[in-house]
Formats: sequence, structure tokens, C-alpha cells
Amino acid sequence: MMYRIPYLLLVSSLVWLSFAPSLYAETNDKLQLSGFARVVMGYIDDKDAQYLGYDNSVSVDQESLIGLQADYQILDSLAVTGQLIGHTADQRDSGIEWLYLTYTPTNSLRFKLGKQRTPFLNYSDVIDVGYAYPWATLPQQTYPRHFFSTFDGLMANYEISNSLFVMDIEGYWGYFEDDVMIAERQMKAETDDLHGLINTIHINNWTFRGSYHQGKTSVEIDDITQFSNLLSQIGFSESAKSLATDGLTEVFQFSASYETLDYFVRAELNHIHADFVFVPDTDGYFISTGYNYFPFTSYISYSKNETEYEQPANDIPLGLSPQLDSLAYGYLAIFDQLPVDSSEAFTLGTRWDLQAGLALKGEVSLIRGKANDRAFFTFDDADFDRKALLYLLALEWVF
Amino acid sequence: MIKASLLLIGTIFSLTGNICCANDAITVVANTQDRSIYLNRQEVRNLFMGGAQHYGLHAIVLPPNNQTRVLFNTKVIGLTEARIQSYWAQMRFTGRKRAPHEEISESSVLEYLKNNKGAVGYLPAGITIPEQLTVIYSNI
Repeated sequence: MMYRIPYLLLVSSLVWLSFAPSLYAETNDKLQLSGFARVVMGYIDDKDAQYLGYDNSVSVDQESLIGLQADYQILDSLAVTGQLIGHTADQRDSGIEWLYLTYTPTNSLRFKLGKQRTPFLNYSDVIDVGYAYPWATLPQQTYPRHFFSTFDGLMANYEISNSLFVMDIEGYWGYFEDDVMIAERQMKAETDDLHGLINTIHINNWTFRGSYHQGKTSVEIDDITQFSNLLSQIGFSESAKSLATDGLTEVFQFSASYETLDYFVRAELNHIHADFVFVPDTDGYFISTGYNYFPFTSYISYSKNETEYEQPANDIPLGLSPQLDSLAYGYLAIFDQLPVDSSEAFTLGTRWDLQAGLALKGEVSLIRGKANDRAFFTFDDADFDRKALLYLLALEWVF
Repeated sequence: MIKASLLLIGTIFSLTGNICCANDAITVVANTQDRSIYLNRQEVRNLFMGGAQHYGLHAIVLPPNNQTRVLFNTKVIGLTEARIQSYWAQMRFTGRKRAPHEEISESSVLEYLKNNKGAVGYLPAGITIPEQLTVIYSNI
């Protein structure tokens, strides 16, 4: 069940917080309260389609949210952190986003145990804190929204620091269980033995991050499972196997950034591989460069992704009998209906840092997809040209 | 005449150059018993960006609009204030690091440094440093 907060509640919370004294306060030495909020207004110029929930009317309830975080220091080396997030979007679940214990035996080593964000990509554990990145929204081509969630488990972090570089090595292990939206279907998903290794190196103005993640995922799609069982009983094992609803999921990621006082260049690429139907193999990347002229930063970005599903098996013969033909066409129809989200986006935008902790961003993106692909759009008219301009205005706040 | 003019221009450039450099100078000062500690710019940057280090030092900073902080960000960290604020938002809300403790002015930084072992802060280069504190970096 999805919980969302009404937009009016978000606005009234923001108004109340703006009049409250600084919430980011050490209420005493042990307890720290802080938070973040974003109001994102969006519009696309095409009346025939929606993109990320935005349509041809101005909307503020797709990516707007508010988050509150409490950190309590139990002992010198032991702390507990909780983070609550309220989303205005239907697709995002409001509630506890983080709840974990942090144990820091030395200043180089840290363990976190509990519910945490899965750190697949460079910004995936901070995707909701828009203030932390320059863009109004992270590119859907590299950061598909269905993919980012939390996990329950243990994360270890070790930092190596010397006069030349700082290196962070992170490893985690845990499991994930929640409702997810894949290929326009909501389904229950479980990932066991989810683990990953992340290496981040900072050298002068450069930051490099490489990571690998793996898990055994199963999804509940009753009609597909029943159909697969039927094919298996009849003897079409290859077709049955191609409709697997469980298998290995892998994510490979690499990013690099170069930052100076005047400008930045950031790039990230990833490869997502899943061994089961409904989740295609995906290659995505983005590159962005921006120029700082206080208090503004203007940027241009390009992002692109290519998705590809497993090919259907061909062990059901055609033309032998009407029953086998209908079985084969029913099987092929499953693959024909899978949405292909390959697309590209060109983005131009500016961030205005109004004051410490408060920023306003405006950006426009040209989204393009191929004629037969869905390209992350939602539309009814098949003649829609898979091309639209997305305008976003975002107010970002941390407190 | 030409020689005199060139000499005058040279003197002006020389003087403004000296004023510029003196004004741009930053000293990083610590309350530490190990008086042999001296860091390079990269190590100071890491220290003030929350990096782990081996000397048991903890950084304190000045508020965002303070001129010494602006100078420190420009000359040592090498990032804009907005980018530094974004960085700390990312660190705080991913549970990685906490932003350094903030003191309101240079004089309160000095007072804090004197009273807290392991504390390290930045100050304008011309300021008088009490005997019990150690200069661990200077960009003069």
C-alpha cells in the first residue's frame, strides 16, 4: 500500500518550519534534528503524453517531499539515526526511510546496521535531497525511479587517508522486500543476499567511484508464473524458463567528477543486468558540465539509456495446430507488451543559491525516444512522436 | 620620464601584490601537544571536509558569510560555498559525516581552540596566535 502526503500538508509544513527557529540544532550534545524539503513544479509541452508523472498542466505533486532526520548519540562510538520522508507522489511510499545504528570503533571505520538506502549509484542514497546536487532532477535515463529503494542489513565503511588521496571502501549485505513498479505493473519483490562493494577515491579536484552490486531477486507475478508452469508441464521448457520470475540482479557503476571554484564536469555510467522477465538489461550514462558564477551555477547535461529484454524462446512450433498457435501467440504477446524505455535527454539549467541551505533551480530538458519505444513516456496515442520538452522549477531546502 | 613611470607602476604592482598576498593568507591552528605536525594543503582540505586522519584533530569552522571562511574555501578547499553546503547536506543525510562545529567569529575560534584539545581552526594570517596553539598549515 502506498502512502503519500497531501500537497497542502507539505506546504503547511514548509510554512511552519520557515517560521520555526533553526531546526538543525543540537538540542543538546546528543540529539541533532535536521531535515530537507523540495517543491518541484513541472510541465511538459506535449498534450499527448506524460513523463515522470508530469503532463501538459503545471504540477507540483510529482517530486515534492519533506524529510526529517534525528540523530541520537547513545555513546561516543554508538549512535542511532531515523529519517522520515513524506512524498506527494502516488508512486512513492511515505514513512521511515532510514532507521539504523552506527558503530564507529575508530575514526576510519564505521558500521551501520538497520534500514538504509541502497547505494547503487553515486546519488542514489541522496536522491531525495535535491539540495545535494546541481540539477532539478536526476536524469531518469541513469537513475530509473523504480530501482531505488532501501535495504535492511549491515554496511561497513573504511577510510584510508594520506597526504595524496582519500579512499572510501564500503561493503554491505542485506535484503530488500517491498512493492515495486516494473513495466507498468506493481508487484511484490524480494531480494535476498543483496550485497555490494563501493570504492570512492578523492584526489585533488577529482572524485572517482566504482561499484558492483548483486542480489537474488524474485517477483510475484501470478499470471506469468501460472503460464510458465503450464508451458513447463506441456514440455516447452525453454519458453517456461524465459518467463522466470526470479534470478540474479547485478549493477555495475562508474563515475568521475572534476570540480574547481569555477566549473565542474561530472559523468556516470551504469549497467544493470537481471536474469528474469520484465526487467531488461540496461546501459545508461550521463555527462554534465556547469559553470559557477556566484550565486548561480549554470549547467548542460546529456543522458542516454539503452534497454534490451531477453529474446523469447522458439520451442513452441507454429502451424501444427490451432491450440499450439494460440499458445505461441499468447507467449509472444507477453514480450511484445514489454515497454522499451530507451531514450535520451538534453538538459539546460541554472541553480541559484539564495542563501546557505536554500536553492532555486530551473531547467528544461528535451526528452527523445525511438518511434516504437515507450521512452519513459505514458501516452495513449500511438502516433505520439516520443519527443517532449520538460520544464522544471525546484525549490530545495535543508534545515 | 619613461623610466620613472615604469618604476612607479612597478612599485604600485609590487605593493598591491604584497597587500593582496597578505590579505589572502590563511593560517590553520591546532590545540595539539604534538608540535611537529605540519600538513600540506590536501591534508588540510581532507581534514575540513570530514576525512579521517591520524592526529586526533577535529575541525571547527566560521559561519558561511564570514570573509575568512570565504578565503579559506577559495584558497584551501577550492570549492564554492554553495558546493560545500551541498556536500555537507549529502554527508549528513546519508549518515556518512557531520559538518564541523561552527564558531561565530575569529575571536571565538581562538577561544574555542584554547579550551578544546584536538580542535583545529583557520584564521587570517595576521592574527596573534597564543603560545599554547600550534600552526599546522599556512599558505603565506
